[in-house]
Amino acid sequence: MPDETKNESQPNPPQEQPKAAEAPRAEAPHAESKPAEPRPHSPRPSEGRPRSEGRGGDGRGGESRGPRDAGREGGKRGRRGFFRKKKVCRFCVDRVDYIDYKKPEQLMTFIQERGKIVPRRITGTCSRHQRWLAEAIKRARNIALMPFGGVR
Amino acid sequence: MEERLYDLIFICRPATPEEEIDKIISTLENAVTERGGKVDKKEKWGARKMAYRVMRHREGYYVLLVVRSSQSDTVHELERRLKVNDAVIKYMTVRLDEDMKRQKRLQQRRERKAARRPRPSRPAHSHPGAEQPAAAAPQQP
Repeated sequence: MPDETKNESQPNPPQEQPKAAEAPRAEAPHAESKPAEPRPHSPRPSEGRPRSEGRGGDGRGGESRGPRDAGREGGKRGRRGFFRKKKVCRFCVDRVDYIDYKKPEQLMTFIQERGKIVPRRITGTCSRHQRWLAEAIKRARNIALMPFGGVR
Repeated sequence: MEERLYDLIFICRPATPEEEIDKIISTLENAVTERGGKVDKKEKWGARKMAYRVMRHREGYYVLLVVRSSQSDTVHELERRLKVNDAVIKYMTVRLDEDMKRQKRLQQRRERKAARRPRPSRPAHSHPGAEQPAAAAPQQP
């Protein structure tokens, strides 16, 4: 009974080996992926190989996702991935309750060169303020305070 | 009809003499008061560049009137007069009372929130913040 002795001596990693051997292969990736997340280091290479014949591919795929999230490769990826600064609605910051169409200087920052209203995915304006802003810009356009097209 | 609030902006030709603009404003004001309304604000912005050309003018003399009226034909009459006048090249009337009502409501809500908030939230922030409620607390009761 070599397995049992291992169980006693090394507390965590070998516990999965007997499970994986006894259990049907369909269940293997589930059983494996759960414990793999907290400690990604030791069990991965030892387990991956014996099961590589049949469903090993699936097992590895499911398994490899876990550790990446947890840390090993994930650390590198996380650092490589560029961090986007969270955009905040400028009007919410200033506690704006009404956007005045009579102040085109303020509204000018929210239109593009050709007079388009800048979408809120770019400016970060919240939906409510974007609605008010669009309304204000359209009013200002109507009375020639702001351009419809490019500035001529 | 309940009372409504309007912004009335019109643009005159830049060459219009000042007196004539004053005349236009006074006739509009008369039309409003005749109908039991009121002109809350008269603003002459003066000649300024327009964002696009209007009747071949690049500049225009902007005038803003804030009108309060509870009669429905007021705006109609004002716009008719502006349309007739040759010096006026553009005008726009915007109904504002709904927006103002919304603004007021939001403001009140914010004030209520601010009144409710100070005690629980401020100590959590930081030390300089924590000193303030100690000073502010005696004032409230």
